[in-house]
Amino acid sequence: MTTLRALPVAVLKVFALALFAFAIFGPLTNLALWSVAERWYTPFKLPVTYGLRYWEVVFRPTGDAMASLMTSIWIALLTVAVSLALAIPAGYALARLKLPMRAAIMILFLLPQAFPSVAIYINVARIFYQLGLTGTVGGVVLVHAAHGLVYAVWIAAAAFAAVDRDLELAARNMGASPLRAFFTITLPLALPGIIASAIFVFLESLDEFTGTFFVGVPQVSTLPLLLYNASMGGNYQIASITALILLVPSVLFMLFVERFLRADVLSKVGH
Amino acid sequence: MPRPSLFGLLLVAPALALVAALFLWPLGHSLMAAFTLNGDFSLAHFRKAFELYSNDIVFTLLIIGLSTLLIAVISIAIAGVLTLSETGWLVAVLKQLYRWPLFIPFIVAGQCMRTFLAKNGMMNNTLVSLGVLDPSMTTSFLDWRGIVITFVWKQAPFVILMLAGAMASIDRSTVEAGRNLGASRLRCLIEIVLPQVGQTLLVALVLSFVTMLSVLSVPMMVAGSQPTMLTVDMAFRINAYGDYPTANALGVISYGITAIVAWIYLRHNLRQHAEGGR
Amino acid sequence: MSTKLKIALALAASLTLPATALAQTLNVATAGDQNMVDYIKDFLGPMFEKANPGVKVVAVGTGPGDSGSQKIYEKLSAQKAANADKWDFDVIVAHQKMSGQMVSEGLLAKYREKIATGALVTSPTASNALGTNVDGFVMPMFQSQTAIAYNPDMVKAPPATYADLREWVKANPKKFGYNGIKGGMSGVAFTAGWVYAFGGDAEKLIKGPYEAATKASWEAALAELKAFNQNAVITPGNAGTLDMLNRGEIAMGPVWVDMFYTWMNDGKLPPTMKLKLLSPGMPGQPMYYAVPAKAAQAELAAKFIAMATSPQVQADGIVKKFNWYPGIDAKHLEGKLDDATWKKLFSDLTPDDLSKNAKPFPIAPYFNDILESYEKKVVN
Repeated sequence: MTTLRALPVAVLKVFALALFAFAIFGPLTNLALWSVAERWYTPFKLPVTYGLRYWEVVFRPTGDAMASLMTSIWIALLTVAVSLALAIPAGYALARLKLPMRAAIMILFLLPQAFPSVAIYINVARIFYQLGLTGTVGGVVLVHAAHGLVYAVWIAAAAFAAVDRDLELAARNMGASPLRAFFTITLPLALPGIIASAIFVFLESLDEFTGTFFVGVPQVSTLPLLLYNASMGGNYQIASITALILLVPSVLFMLFVERFLRADVLSKVGH
Repeated sequence: MPRPSLFGLLLVAPALALVAALFLWPLGHSLMAAFTLNGDFSLAHFRKAFELYSNDIVFTLLIIGLSTLLIAVISIAIAGVLTLSETGWLVAVLKQLYRWPLFIPFIVAGQCMRTFLAKNGMMNNTLVSLGVLDPSMTTSFLDWRGIVITFVWKQAPFVILMLAGAMASIDRSTVEAGRNLGASRLRCLIEIVLPQVGQTLLVALVLSFVTMLSVLSVPMMVAGSQPTMLTVDMAFRINAYGDYPTANALGVISYGITAIVAWIYLRHNLRQHAEGGR
Repeated sequence: MSTKLKIALALAASLTLPATALAQTLNVATAGDQNMVDYIKDFLGPMFEKANPGVKVVAVGTGPGDSGSQKIYEKLSAQKAANADKWDFDVIVAHQKMSGQMVSEGLLAKYREKIATGALVTSPTASNALGTNVDGFVMPMFQSQTAIAYNPDMVKAPPATYADLREWVKANPKKFGYNGIKGGMSGVAFTAGWVYAFGGDAEKLIKGPYEAATKASWEAALAELKAFNQNAVITPGNAGTLDMLNRGEIAMGPVWVDMFYTWMNDGKLPPTMKLKLLSPGMPGQPMYYAVPAKAAQAELAAKFIAMATSPQVQADGIVKKFNWYPGIDAKHLEGKLDDATWKKLFSDLTPDDLSKNAKPFPIAPYFNDILESYEKKVVN
């Protein structure tokens, strides 16, 4: 009896999964197709001719796709480093110490995510020109860090909150100084969650181009900036190829970080 | 209750300083521009913003609200399957599938969707060649529906990731108990699992809501401009007229919209902390 | 603490990292579509580097349409506000409206009489940008034009005038598409052309003088445009219109002539597509080369522009490679181009069409009035 009923259910599951896969990968297939389409227009439903002509264009000697990619990755990694350096003390305080207006502070970190950014970046650029920070990688990193900090701080706070307080107390009872207890017990236990937050900061940085333009250009040019120009201009082949290149560091970083994604930390984010 | 910790404030200070310097201060300039006319306090820019863009304000609210709702439903469903399904292969495959859009920048998502959702785009073409759809029945989704679909596609994986994590860490015994009493898995999901992860869901949705509100590329690339979202209007105000005051007024309005979700978050957060006594 | 220290060191290193190791870098910022950036990166840049050893040309795109020019303006204006003594762009390529504003705010340097090619251009657009006197501050890089692109497989007899088009759209609902006014300049041009056609005195909008009361006379025209929009498709952006033509979802739509040819060369439009210039006229505009007031390499910048506006470069680069109309007077290109190229440029739109129906945009204040009236009357 059970096998008879199990079959249609399994078919149904496969069908639902196929539909889901189409919803997820359909748009991406389109991207992949455009990256190798040399000619594609109505009434043809698939490219008329395929080829790697545009890959050659992207990687031509005068093009700077690879250099921009390296700059983008470097900026994203530095952004992660800066965000985490700021988020670890802040997250600890938000999770463990009694802060006045704690919720307001949490929301403050959310604000840079919420404001449509152009008007802000123009003013940031003005300040940075006076400080000589425009056109430097450092300037761009700071701007990206301010934007991605909400993920880093919220998740770090959750990670510290997930650490069992009794373990800390035990260490203190055995005579460890507060600082020693933090570095030998609390931080190592919270570290997986904190590192997991890095993926969101990393992606946020790789997605950003408005701030990069106002603060970095012309000395610092990133791949998302190239992508923006190609994409808005309807240069589909170039945009698709650039997007595919940009996918590589994101996925690699995710694979690296994945082992640190822990369920009990994610369950406490933003609390 | 212990007294407020000065040390704690000291630890938060560097992160707060970065946000203050790179965000609050420039924001101050924006607010000044939005609320003054020739140096005097004035609401003229807001009048103009409402006069020209009242439709778009409503449109933005509806789009983001609907997207958030759909994201919530889809995320609960998929995270629920990931947590409660007993079919191992289904969970394994689903786990690998769902998170791909997470890596796609908004602008690329816009680019993909504009060619995917069009009348003669890949979605309709595939459905027609599979015989599901008749060529005469195809329509273009490149309007508000396109924006909503793109937002849900891009943002749901983030919420699923957070939610599935939270669901995995709840006490399994409560679910087992429910199952043993004969409750269906759907009922277990809604009555037992969901209440325990409500906070995570709320936080993930707040982050998504706020992110979608500030995205320019998707409404710009996926839909025609009538009506459109506030980010497009802001960019247009600046690019076509160099009119920063009205653009900033629109920014303040979109902050007003953020305030709604911030308020919900705050209320929930305070209640949680009062109950938890942390 | 060693990781933190490393982070701090890395950050400090990156802050002090010099932008480039080369002695002289010429930073060229260009608004407009990707093809503009490619033109400088692949064509002008290498040519200039070859002629001037030790110089490196860096090209940056700032995005299509007026928003691209706006970004250049914002960078320059932020540097002026910060009292920077050397600005970071040496050559800029910008649209008319922003160029006018940059001149009136003192962000640009006068350089045209210093270069030999300055005398090769006599068209009024070289000295007047939508009503602002820019004489001496700019050199036209090229002239571009909007026109209606149509698919002859779907449209046998394309409309010749705006009035014809209005009737055609009524008879063929949802087969014409344009991008409104917020998605790029081809839709703006179409709208300006609509006001020229139905709003009364087009000459006054183009030449001035400005009277704030004039906009009241467009009421009827804009009401009709609103009705027209009911049967038109609003596309997402300049590229959005071409995109829908690519998939055959619309049969007709306003496009930039150069983008049209570039899309065709890239295999993104059926090779049978054609162009038509509606009467009484559709706007076009030049892109300008200009030098910021405090460019670090002002002399090199002038040299670069002189090369870029020389007849041979205009013939090989602007006309032959990119299908733009030359920025300098066309007579200087005679003998520099083969017949086939010349003819191809003027095959769909004849010189006669262009002289009759290629119009400038309205002067800046009318321009803004048209946009804002559109927002008020047509959209909201």
